[in-house]
Amino acid sequence: MSSDTSPPVEKIFFREAIARAAREEMRKTPEIIILGQDVGYFGGSYREFDGLFEEFGATRVRDTPVAEASMVGFGVGAAAAGLRPLVCITYMDFLMLGFDPLINYGAKLRFKTGGQLTAPVIVKTTAGAKGQGVAHSQCIEAWLMGVPGLKVVAPATPADAYGLLKAAFRETGPVVYVDHKRLFPIAGPVPLAETIVPIGKAAVRRAGTDLTITSHSFMVRTALEAAKMLEGEGIDAEVIDLRSLAPLDMATISESVRKTGAILTLEEGQVTAGVGAEVVSRVMETIGAVPFSRIGALPAPVSSNPILEAACLPSTGRVVQAAMALQRKKARGVNHVVAETIE
Amino acid sequence: MVHAVQIEMLRQMLLIREFERALGARKDHGFQLLSAGEEAVAVGLCSALRQGDQLLTGGRSIGPALARGADPNRVMAELLGRATGTNRGKGGRGHLADQGSGFFGAHAVVGGNISIAGGVALATQMLNRDNIVVIMFGDGAFGAGALHETLNMSASMRLPLLFVCNNNQLSVSTPRTAALAPKLLSDIGRPFGMPSRTVDGMDLDTVVMAAHEAADYVRSKQGPAFLECISYRFSSHSTTARETRSAEELCSIRALCPIDKKMGEMMAAGLIDADTKIAIVESAKAVVRGALEFADASPFPDVREALTDVI
Repeated sequence: MSSDTSPPVEKIFFREAIARAAREEMRKTPEIIILGQDVGYFGGSYREFDGLFEEFGATRVRDTPVAEASMVGFGVGAAAAGLRPLVCITYMDFLMLGFDPLINYGAKLRFKTGGQLTAPVIVKTTAGAKGQGVAHSQCIEAWLMGVPGLKVVAPATPADAYGLLKAAFRETGPVVYVDHKRLFPIAGPVPLAETIVPIGKAAVRRAGTDLTITSHSFMVRTALEAAKMLEGEGIDAEVIDLRSLAPLDMATISESVRKTGAILTLEEGQVTAGVGAEVVSRVMETIGAVPFSRIGALPAPVSSNPILEAACLPSTGRVVQAAMALQRKKARGVNHVVAETIE
Repeated sequence: MVHAVQIEMLRQMLLIREFERALGARKDHGFQLLSAGEEAVAVGLCSALRQGDQLLTGGRSIGPALARGADPNRVMAELLGRATGTNRGKGGRGHLADQGSGFFGAHAVVGGNISIAGGVALATQMLNRDNIVVIMFGDGAFGAGALHETLNMSASMRLPLLFVCNNNQLSVSTPRTAALAPKLLSDIGRPFGMPSRTVDGMDLDTVVMAAHEAADYVRSKQGPAFLECISYRFSSHSTTARETRSAEELCSIRALCPIDKKMGEMMAAGLIDADTKIAIVESAKAVVRGALEFADASPFPDVREALTDVI
């Protein structure tokens, strides 16, 4: 018998983790259906539904026309009437078309009907830049964080892609599940045993003492790379993977910042009214003022031109520089924003 | 039609008219969305629905909810914000829902309930329920993209969904002729292979027959159908919205009253006499008085209800 007490794992790609969670759930729950563009024979635009069409057939894994507004509406309505749909929106940019049924109907349904109806729908959508330009690259998850009745998750690892999707299928209301184009081909360990990652719990990915970096989705990887480089500068960064954006795990975040005394938020979306803005505000409401810095995409559209795309997105170097500036402010006891400049 | 059924439908139309008249006189809970003039559409349509069928509507939903069989007491309580309402006072105008009577619900976003109804029909089909789903919407929603998308998806999935366009010819103040290009709105169902008809929504018997025909088709699992009922709204968009039509126009519109028409026909045919007519009117008024008493005797929701059933 091995002395290693950690549970046995398999190493699979992020996209495979999604398919595995969906497959396990669909085997148990006949009410689960998948609606989306190219989810059937094609296996999903990112192959994240590989094998499901073959196993469950065209009735449960349904290709739809290119009609995001009604795809979400059908999903929400079917959920309210007894199914457990997962609606796949290939690009998060196009979820804007589905905001009306999602936000005006799905998120309000339980409240407005006095508890008669709920809409347990999962809207799975893909954020992030990968050379596809201004209308296929956006990360707009922050727009959804303030919608009462919605939960929003954004996994960064295959294990969480699996465990959070499993959790989403157990919710009684709508969940927006945000994955990321650059995460699909990344592999990582996923427990062989059925595992559920609870919504609303952040994960400390790297323990540290000097500052807290919060992030989610692909940018967690950037945060971890930056933390490693900061070691060389004598800075010990703690990295928190938010995993759940609504609700936020303020207990874990606040505890970390109380320990480190500074917070840097990192996201691929816009800084203005972004995830980091909310995290920093809530940290300060909880523990008082601390030095902070927010990093995100530049306030510009994300071009498909690789030079301009790379310039727009947060990089490890920018995070390292901002973290070092933040440390200097912290050492001087200055509690205000560290202005970030692009070099 | 059987005599008793006709009297019951007349009673339902009168109930809607009297209910809305009484509600409209109440100025203590904001504006209301009334449907006087459109009663034959609601009652005629619901005469074709069975237990387990689901009706979804736009915001102008009092008539359809009552015609579907929702308890007038609880509907009145809802519209006056009371905790005993169908939605526990939390939905209010435009969002009535009553699962017990097969009124899946109203949704006050114009066109917003159309794709939702598509989803309800998809669930109905996939869960092998022998029921149909009806989405009733106005000409205001006809111009919305959700209609095209849902027509297409429901036709390709052969869903048990009946589209009913209650074309009252006004979107708040904008005449249908200024907003919508097709001459016949029901023509939009044809390219999707749906049986599609336009009928006089001011004539109860016509709506009853057309609704049964369309519902029977949908019930036979052949796919969706489209029914346009041309009606007239007797009052302005809401109880606080300005009336934009002239007194002469309103006078000629009100002469088309579906209740007066049906009552006149039944009297001429000897199906009811003056005494029966008075009795039906009085019984509708009594139900409405009872509904107001019920609502007024009911409490408003506790303020803590603001945070319940949110997530």
